[in-house]
Amino acid sequence: MSDQPQGRDSRDEAGRPFDGVKVLELAEGISGPYAGRWLAALGANVVKLERTTGDPSRAFGPWPDDLPDNETSGLFLYLNGDKRSVTLNLETSDGREILRELAENAEIVIESFEPGYLQQHGLDYAELSKGNEALVMISITPFGQSGPNASLPATELTLYAASGQMWLTGHPERHPLKNGGSQPSYQAGLNAFAAITGAYYGAVMHGQGSYIDLSVQETYAGMAEAFHTRASQLGIESQRSGNNLNALWGVYEVADGYGGICALPRNYPAFARAVGLEELQDERFSDPGQRLLNNDELMAIMYGWFAGQTRQDLLELGIEHRVPFGFVASFEDLSESEHLQSRDFFAAIDDDDAGSLTYPGRLWLSNGHDWKMGRAPSLGEHNVEIIHGELGYEREDLVRLRELDAI
Amino acid sequence: MFDPGRPLSRVRVADLTMIWAGPYAAKILADQGAEVIKIESPRAWDNIRTLLPPPVAPGEHWWNTNFYLHEYSRNKKSLSLDLAADEGKAVFARLLAHCDVVLENYRTDVMDNLGLTYDWLREQKEDIVVVGMAGFGKTGPEKDAVGYGPIIEMMSGMTSTSGYGDDGVPYKSGISYGDPIAGICAAAAVATALIQRQRTGRGQYIDLAQREVMSTLLGEFYMDWSMNRRLPEHIGAGHDWMAPHHVYPCAGDDDWIAICVRSDSEWDGLKRAMGSPEWAERAEFSDQILRWEHRAELDELVAAWTAGRTKTDAFAALHAERVPSSPVWKMLEVLRDPHLQARGYYEPLRHPEVGIWMAHGWLWRTDGAGPCIVGPAPDFGQHNAEILGGLLGIPRSEQAALEAAGVIATSPDGVLPASEMPATPSLI
Repeated sequence: MSDQPQGRDSRDEAGRPFDGVKVLELAEGISGPYAGRWLAALGANVVKLERTTGDPSRAFGPWPDDLPDNETSGLFLYLNGDKRSVTLNLETSDGREILRELAENAEIVIESFEPGYLQQHGLDYAELSKGNEALVMISITPFGQSGPNASLPATELTLYAASGQMWLTGHPERHPLKNGGSQPSYQAGLNAFAAITGAYYGAVMHGQGSYIDLSVQETYAGMAEAFHTRASQLGIESQRSGNNLNALWGVYEVADGYGGICALPRNYPAFARAVGLEELQDERFSDPGQRLLNNDELMAIMYGWFAGQTRQDLLELGIEHRVPFGFVASFEDLSESEHLQSRDFFAAIDDDDAGSLTYPGRLWLSNGHDWKMGRAPSLGEHNVEIIHGELGYEREDLVRLRELDAI
Repeated sequence: MFDPGRPLSRVRVADLTMIWAGPYAAKILADQGAEVIKIESPRAWDNIRTLLPPPVAPGEHWWNTNFYLHEYSRNKKSLSLDLAADEGKAVFARLLAHCDVVLENYRTDVMDNLGLTYDWLREQKEDIVVVGMAGFGKTGPEKDAVGYGPIIEMMSGMTSTSGYGDDGVPYKSGISYGDPIAGICAAAAVATALIQRQRTGRGQYIDLAQREVMSTLLGEFYMDWSMNRRLPEHIGAGHDWMAPHHVYPCAGDDDWIAICVRSDSEWDGLKRAMGSPEWAERAEFSDQILRWEHRAELDELVAAWTAGRTKTDAFAALHAERVPSSPVWKMLEVLRDPHLQARGYYEPLRHPEVGIWMAHGWLWRTDGAGPCIVGPAPDFGQHNAEILGGLLGIPRSEQAALEAAGVIATSPDGVLPASEMPATPSLI
């Protein structure tokens, strides 16, 4: 544990929860870097080890003005703020030696290599935790470290399918639909962040670390909601329900886009008051069972009513009557949302290469700490600072390491 | 002795959460060894107990048995306590002195309306960690908006990213995706605050807005708006540079397999898996860029191959060639996924009125940890005596008085007996 920063205002007196905690990030793509990003924002000293060609996420957009550049990938910048980048070729013995030295006083290691890779190179938990019993290490892979699919390559789509999530998404008469972006990887990253924080608390309290095997498929399958556990307890299969599980749970077209309602039975009275149509008081909609038996009729009424509303109407009605109304917000709506801005959800970050951009930021607000929201490193930006400055290699060693392709 | 799977042992959580997002967070804490006391009022219990139908042939105490309750409240303890009553609040104050964490996912104003403000909570336990999980947070012009998972998904930008592309319609996820996402994050927030408490001796108040957590899983879309003022297009199950990349129909009833090819070597693997058909050698499929440009035709040809076999046969052929692929598992099928079974992902849950069924175990597995599931969701008020008598030292006579006053109970007020339950179609 390191020193507390001194001389800040009252909230800052407490510093940040992970101030000075040394984290090694041997992870690429989305999941591991997402977890590492929040540790860095909470004060951790995160050293990101990149292959000499860089984290492959540097090669994914978006880029400013659609100009691809290793240093300005929006995905990479978002996921890697406040980390320090060291390039390292683990196929060389020097590269592996530097990793071992960096791991000597690390408290947390995040890795995402193919199962077995680190063990083959003598860099698995058993090796890295020698003399460092409090080390917390997490491996994040598509299917985990064991089992028949452990080394099967995966994509967002195949993980979405393998978790059971995809079966439930999309129109019942069309093919199962993928949800947007890279949700399997992101949700795994969030799970990894929860796993690390829990395990690190254990290490702080008991002086003993742990090794965690996180499978993207398993974390995602764990949130199949009642559909999954109904199958296991009652043996009942579920179907895709498109945009409407029932008339009071789904998405409807409105005058200026799409809106939605998610009302449980207990929300019905307030919902009926907010909508104000007399027929909602009919006998045929008088209890949850009746409403489901007459679902098609209720839905027809809803289609008509929603078509006359705007998105803003729905938001205001929802707030006024405490009814779960919402609308399908765009990233333009959100980026300009007064509500989110009033909560300091966004961070303006300046980057020499990418310029000044607005990043979505921080997971929560706290009266105990703030979030560091700085820029992401360029590739190998901290090679000299860390390998020469902190590990004590001479400058001529750096030249040799570069020539040997180790850094 | 330190149990590596239970790093939060000796942490006690007063869990005031209901439905899904909050209970999911508390479940993660309980799985990690925290003592989670699920507190419900006899007059306002966790709606999930009675929202969904009980197992076939509901037992006498059917509010203790439905699958949804057990999925999210296993490994917890149950205390029934009316926090709106003065006597209930007094008991809660005494309990707080023994707690580390208060977790709630009420509407923004409910805790304050109950008089359970942060200041009041801190008076009972100075270093208490409080995590509030309102959908839109505790401040700002939209703080009083309410929403369950799909509303959170819509309001975070998530729903705007999904759709078939030919009809302009945005699609929500099949699950209430906003809930578990907020739950996982709240579990992390608790551990983070406990780490900081260990360093500083202070607790803290965490205002976790479910919509904001969901938004952090959409970073590249926010960045694209910031960089280029561009909004995402709907691309169905396709991809912006991979082809093939889709779900393809298989022999069977609404059976599908996902197949993706990211490189020439994976394309070679797919060709071998398909028995090296002649069409695959055509010039327009000879590299990644050409395959993507001709993806509509390519998808039809791959679909013609998958349509002739079951998804498990197709997957076996693709697996052997290391092609990224997976059957689109249905709910009953994912329970039998050979890979998840080999890893022991599902563990038995037992309840005396239901029997045995399988539920997911560890969301992540810690080396050296035993089974995840210690016990089922507690019966309503099951641990009243243990907590009030054992932990707080409240004499039996006082407990009886609390029960007589309706402040504690062992069944929720006003629930119909199983024999009088109307036949209600399931909400899901």
